[in-house]
Amino acid sequence: MRLYSNLSIKQKQIVWAWAFLALPVLFYGIIRFYPTGTAFVISFQEWNLLGDRTWIGWDNYVELWNDPVFWKVFVNTFEYLLIGTPLSLVLSFIIAYHLDKLRFMHGFLRMLYFLPFMTSAVAMAWVWRWFYQDVPIGLFNNLLASVGIPQIAFLNSTTNALPAVLAPAVWAGLGFQVIIFMAGLRAIPQSYYEAAKIDGVGWWTVLTQITIPLLRPTIVFIVVFSSIGFLRIFDHVFNMTTNNPGGPLNSTKPLVLMIYDTAFNGFNMGYAAAQTVVLFLILLLVSLAQLWLLRSD
Amino acid sequence: MANLSLRALTKAYAQTEVLHGINLDVEDGEFIVFVGPSGCGKSTTLRMIAGLEEVTSGEVVIGDRVVNHLEPKERDIAMVFQNYAIYPHMSVKKNIAFGLRSSKMSKQDKETRIDEVAGILDMTHLLDRKPAQLSGGQRQRVAIGRAMVRDPAVFLFDEPLSNLDAQLRTQMRLEIKKLHQRVGNTIIFVTHDQVEAMTMADRIVIMKDGHIQQVGTPSEVYHSPANAFVAQFIGAPSMNMLPGRLNGAGVRLESGLQVVTTHVSATNQDVLLGVRPDDLTLDQSGQMLVTGQVTVREPLGAETLIYVATESGEVIAKADGRSPPDVGTHVRLSADPANVHLFDADNGAALA
Repeated sequence: MRLYSNLSIKQKQIVWAWAFLALPVLFYGIIRFYPTGTAFVISFQEWNLLGDRTWIGWDNYVELWNDPVFWKVFVNTFEYLLIGTPLSLVLSFIIAYHLDKLRFMHGFLRMLYFLPFMTSAVAMAWVWRWFYQDVPIGLFNNLLASVGIPQIAFLNSTTNALPAVLAPAVWAGLGFQVIIFMAGLRAIPQSYYEAAKIDGVGWWTVLTQITIPLLRPTIVFIVVFSSIGFLRIFDHVFNMTTNNPGGPLNSTKPLVLMIYDTAFNGFNMGYAAAQTVVLFLILLLVSLAQLWLLRSD
Repeated sequence: MANLSLRALTKAYAQTEVLHGINLDVEDGEFIVFVGPSGCGKSTTLRMIAGLEEVTSGEVVIGDRVVNHLEPKERDIAMVFQNYAIYPHMSVKKNIAFGLRSSKMSKQDKETRIDEVAGILDMTHLLDRKPAQLSGGQRQRVAIGRAMVRDPAVFLFDEPLSNLDAQLRTQMRLEIKKLHQRVGNTIIFVTHDQVEAMTMADRIVIMKDGHIQQVGTPSEVYHSPANAFVAQFIGAPSMNMLPGRLNGAGVRLESGLQVVTTHVSATNQDVLLGVRPDDLTLDQSGQMLVTGQVTVREPLGAETLIYVATESGEVIAKADGRSPPDVGTHVRLSADPANVHLFDADNGAALA
């Protein structure tokens, strides 16, 4: 006690801060960082979960480099990212921009947009899966058929399947992004718009010169957040293609699904760990690149 | 010819009328200050002139055009906002140039105009900076600059000094006044600070509850207030009001003291006898008004304000700065009858 009372105020604050931080730090260390570190080690080993771990150096990475499925999955993952992120950004901005101007039923509409975000991804994936079925079951094909358009193979086509799986993922995240955008829009002082009105500039100039530049921090947040989401896409894909996860012909398989497959169906832990390390590097590089591109000057 | 006219201007939000028929003519080049407590309708009036609020009824005339249905940009006005509304992501130069964005001037002319304005406001060296790198006063100048580049018929200022600290406010007050003398455009300035109104205005418009109380030069509103509200709102500290009754010979105060006033017209009327703290002194050359005990002293240097508890309530008087009476002292306060104001006790109107 004597020791404690001799500390300066600053030191006492640090002692208390560490007292409260100790548990979460311990938790993160054991539950998060230790396995992460282990994953790096395992990526250089061969291990079937039960047997001995044998050191094989870079073999897993070489195998990955020469694996055509990995490259297909790699391209798929980036397709999810490069279509999903801009699409959801533009859609959520347009919705938020207009919803912000609306008074009538504002709260109700906002709730409708936010609802999918709260819904279980599994339940949602199965509902969309039903939407996509052939006539006479699927909603979309029934609608198309009723206006005389031939039915589309949504989930059974190698070209249509990826966008078809992506659509509910975009839709699910939209509500959250709309809320964030609305908060960003509300934070812009009204007098900026009034000043622009007096200066007589058009809505396009207001949008591109005032609104969007002032939303930069919001946009950075949403881009980084949704990019990470799309790079880690799994549950929508897994649940919409359960009979043949990632199919048809790996056309919808993202990296996380490949890791799952390798680890828990193939029990090839070393190879799965190497894929995890690659995913980690992709996430890291993409996030850093976005932060750098969208940095404020 | 009036440069700006408001004719029977009203404003209502749903069923609630907040402005009840404002009439005002502003001469070309005049510096008009709207002053009043918050919620009096001064900002609403300004925003209606700017075109940011719809006119419910009546007319806003700028130049010789009724501008009720014109967009703000078509009204030949510019406005400076309380929070300046300068864009944080643009340089000072781009901010000022924003005022010219919709103008049809050539690029060269715009550049010249921006340089000219920057010169007048003494901020040529700041043009490449971002607002975050500027002090409060400099940001204020950028906002004025953006309004100035457009060379509008009327400048509108919406409480532009209230975000500044006291010292800077005094300085900017002076700068805006000098600027007005130099460029000569009509200025409508809204403030809740009567000192700003008194120091800057050619004419002051005092408002309360959506009505104009009085329009006049600073001297007129100070020396001949139209009613008790104006009398108490203008001048600091506020005018003392002593209840009394006209009785033919003058005013009989509640304390029983008979006061002879210069204007005795009616009898048997309840009145408020107003006297400014500046005019209420310990000096016995005037006419004795009240007696009481000193409760608080506020030394201001050259003079000391004394708060005196009297039978008619607390009054404020001015005493010498060097030898003010001590707290607890019994004092007799008097004033020159010429400096005493009389107001109707019911409606507050000044009695001539």
